[in-house]
Amino acid sequence: MDYALSEEQRAVVEEVRRFAENEIAPLAAEYDREEKYPYEVMEKATEMGLPGAHFPVEYGGAGYSTLEMALITEELFAVDPGIGLCITSAGFGAEALLEFGTDEQKERFLPPITDGESVMGAAISEPQAGSDVTSIDTTAEKDGDEWVLNGNKMWITNGSVGDYFVVMCETDPEVDDRYAGFSQIVVEADRDGFSAEKITGKLGIRASDTAELLFDDVRVPEGNLVGQRGMGFLQLMQFFDETRTSVAAQAVGIAKGANERALSYAEEREQFGRSISDFQAIQHKLADMHTRTEAARQLTYKSAWSVDHAEDDLTALASMAKEFASRVATDCADEAVQIHGGAGYVDDFDVGRLYRDSKITQIYEGTTEVQKNIVARELLGKGT
Amino acid sequence: MKVLVTVKEVAEVEDDFEIDGTGVDDRYLEYDLNEWDDYAVEEAVQLQEAGDDIEVVSVTIGPERAEETIRMALAKGVDRAIRVWDDALDQDLLDTATKARVFRAVVEEEEPDLILTGVQAGDDAFGATGVALAESVGQEWAAVVNQLDIDHLLAENVARVHRELEGGVEELTDVELPAVLTIQTGINEPRYASLRGIRQAQSKEIAPKTLADLGLEAGDVESSLFLTEMYEPESESDATLFEGSAEETAAELASVLREKGVGAE
Ligand SMILES: Cc1cc2nc3c(=O)[nH]c(=O)nc-3n(C[C@H](O)[C@H](O)[C@H](O)COP(=O)(O)OP(=O)(O)OC[C@H]3O[C@@H](n4cnc5c(N)ncnc54)[C@H](O)[C@@H]3O)c2cc1C
Repeated sequence: MDYALSEEQRAVVEEVRRFAENEIAPLAAEYDREEKYPYEVMEKATEMGLPGAHFPVEYGGAGYSTLEMALITEELFAVDPGIGLCITSAGFGAEALLEFGTDEQKERFLPPITDGESVMGAAISEPQAGSDVTSIDTTAEKDGDEWVLNGNKMWITNGSVGDYFVVMCETDPEVDDRYAGFSQIVVEADRDGFSAEKITGKLGIRASDTAELLFDDVRVPEGNLVGQRGMGFLQLMQFFDETRTSVAAQAVGIAKGANERALSYAEEREQFGRSISDFQAIQHKLADMHTRTEAARQLTYKSAWSVDHAEDDLTALASMAKEFASRVATDCADEAVQIHGGAGYVDDFDVGRLYRDSKITQIYEGTTEVQKNIVARELLGKGT
Repeated sequence: MKVLVTVKEVAEVEDDFEIDGTGVDDRYLEYDLNEWDDYAVEEAVQLQEAGDDIEVVSVTIGPERAEETIRMALAKGVDRAIRVWDDALDQDLLDTATKARVFRAVVEEEEPDLILTGVQAGDDAFGATGVALAESVGQEWAAVVNQLDIDHLLAENVARVHRELEGGVEELTDVELPAVLTIQTGINEPRYASLRGIRQAQSKEIAPKTLADLGLEAGDVESSLFLTEMYEPESESDATLFEGSAEETAAELASVLREKGVGAE
């Protein structure tokens, strides 16, 4: 067992952190407050090769593995989750193209992400279909050599800034199997009948764009179908381990960011004639936060390493990492605000923002409850 | 064309530190690429990107630990690196003449058309290595360069440079190649190493060289400068607080700055 990062991985961590501190940190509060998408940061991130860094080199990526992506995600989220998500989500939905797409589809949709020309998204959730993904109602009907889509998608990251989306829709409603009959189809934002409405007023990750997508007789060529007709949901499921691990890494990053800020504030702030870090109550908080974050990090690394190397089914591990790390993130952000006292309650300091941002990691990519259902199901052997 | 960039891994001291003998206790040090060298590397890489068939080689004097830092330069686009190290170089302080002697041996081997160094190193701050090297290899030089006309250099083989003088004065100089330029911060905006660059840097060469490899011996690197003591001086601070409207305070600030000699009239 190799228990240390390689020199290359350490270099990645160091340079990404330097980028985040110089280019993201000074803008984070403003983009959060104004809920605006950070185009200027995206441009710089593109120069550094951050969007789609896991794409193969021939499509403009660096060919990085799940573990390296976790390291990158952690550093970005430790500085600012909102802008961090904009960067790491630029290629949302691309997994399906990478694994099941044709060469022509990869050539068309992947290089624009790493070039910074386009941003994409994965459109699965609907107003009435969240945790219960199989209840989606968006349909795609075949008409000649085109697909015609109708329905609406909810909570779609990059929805109003994205150029194309991998949309989960029902193509074969007559099929009995609960998981069959769905397909993944790429829909470009400039197709007639497509519209996106930005969702404002989010609690956190407010720099990240979230929107509702509406499909009103949107026609796309049949060549936009990704992989096999009717297999969309089964295709999607193959990436849950990867996407959940990446949310776990986001959570580890948030916890790390909260811990760093809490530690430095505790060392600076004086009350009763001494540093508040002299009080055991504060020391124990700090010890707890750092210990639990390290535990979450190791679980996340193990899950990432397993996605890259292990052969057996790792569903439970990815769910454990996602659930535990997101809980640690919300707890650490909570304690970081507590350690800041009143100063943590206003936006002069970052911890209030991290506190708001942390909550999303318990909701998207499967809620905490859903992750626990999965872990229990695996334990109790109730099928897949 | 070949460009040689000298780079150094420097120790950066944390805000709170302790002195240990004639140095700062290792626990309070972090190692990083010298800030000025980062600008020199960027200038070389920009030159390489603007021209055809330009090789950028970086050279450092430093122990194996320095490779991690040198690899960042490779990740930013330097083609290959040379790392000179020898037990005889493991001294408290290498003086400028010694460093120039080592670099001269490398220059004689590599025969670069242009040598870029940082103006100074953030740790020992002699600010003399580049100029001493130029003198030692008998080349023209320009110090404290804050602008280089890359197109002119590629077309005419002449470095047209701006040099930063005291009091905000700029000097424009043409230097024929081969030459040494010492690069000032601010000449460009150093890039971040791209993720792809970091990946590619892992397979780029960092050639280790001993003194013997360069035709030198221990006697050639005997420093004539010795550190005798290191201490932290008592610090005094002098703060002036301006109160009033932005217009008033700005004017007051300007007059103080002028008194202190900032900016040329
Ligand atoms: C900012 C943001 C970005 C998002 N980005 C995307 C995106 O890019 N693409 C996309 O497709 N979706 C996205 N989502 C949607 C997200 O994945 C869903 O919100 C999430 O899956 C939960 O679904 P829901 O909101 O409908 O909640 P519901 O499913 O209605 O859940 C409500 C509550 O019931 C609980 N619950 C539900 N079912 C069970 C059960 N079986 N057992 C126990 N408890 C249960 C849940 O855990 C939760 O506590 C995003 C959401 C947000 C807020």
